[in-house]
Amino acid sequence: MRLEKCYFCSSTVYPGHGTMFVRNDSKTFRFCRSKCHKNFKMKRNPRKVRWTKAFRRAAGKEMTIDATLEFEKRRNIPVRYDRELMATTLKAMKRVAEIKARRDRVFYKKRISGKKEHEKQQNVLEIQRNIQLIGEPSLKEKVMEQKVMATEERMDMETA
Amino acid sequence: MTRYRRTKTHRGIRDIKRAKRTRARTKDLDQIHEDMKTPEKFEQQAVDADLPGLGQHYCIQCSRYFTDAGALSDHYKTKLHKKRLKVLKESPYTQKEAEAAAGLFTDNGKGRVSGVDDATATGLMDT
Repeated sequence: MRLEKCYFCSSTVYPGHGTMFVRNDSKTFRFCRSKCHKNFKMKRNPRKVRWTKAFRRAAGKEMTIDATLEFEKRRNIPVRYDRELMATTLKAMKRVAEIKARRDRVFYKKRISGKKEHEKQQNVLEIQRNIQLIGEPSLKEKVMEQKVMATEERMDMETA
Repeated sequence: MTRYRRTKTHRGIRDIKRAKRTRARTKDLDQIHEDMKTPEKFEQQAVDADLPGLGQHYCIQCSRYFTDAGALSDHYKTKLHKKRLKVLKESPYTQKEAEAAAGLFTDNGKGRVSGVDDATATGLMDT
């Protein structure tokens, strides 16, 4: 049983699933579902479509450099069946998947940290920039005060 | 469907199904990249009465035939062509890249007989 990877989204194509397109130069393209096939027909570049693995890898959304990723490889060398080897491989697969899941979580946390603060800052900035839209006078004053404080702080930083 | 809607929907293509047929497929970017390596192949083409301009005025980047040299040189000045040039600056996407994105690489290392690489397996354990 050979498990192929989808040309567009890089997910696994199991036997009996998806479509294969053979171009008139005999090059083959496998797709996991009609969504990927349609996007291919639209001549979209998978690198630029945000939900594909190719995009996520290129944009640093996922872990790329890690020892756990070195485990699964296409080795074009036939191996004689060995019960012992099979058992240890299965065991290792489970263990590697476990480790990878943990590292993925850590990577995600690291990537997402600081986002809340950034968003908060952006919101404050937006309010300060569009102060004229705020009707309530007391609120307006509060925002202006904040702005003055922020600029003073910045000035202090520059002089220091 | 009035005239306005007809021109607006489906980017003015009269029959979207007909335009999307496999036989109406235009060349993919990776094919064009191959073509660009041998531009001399397209300079002197055989006369083909079915193609625009007897198939004598061809733009390799856009894989399109034009009626005469003037139309072709005008085409080189268009936004369509310039945009295509920009897109073609990138290397084409391949199945290999798709597999790499899924974390599947090929390893034909020498002297590696076992299916499981001991070095990577031990490397994982120290975490």
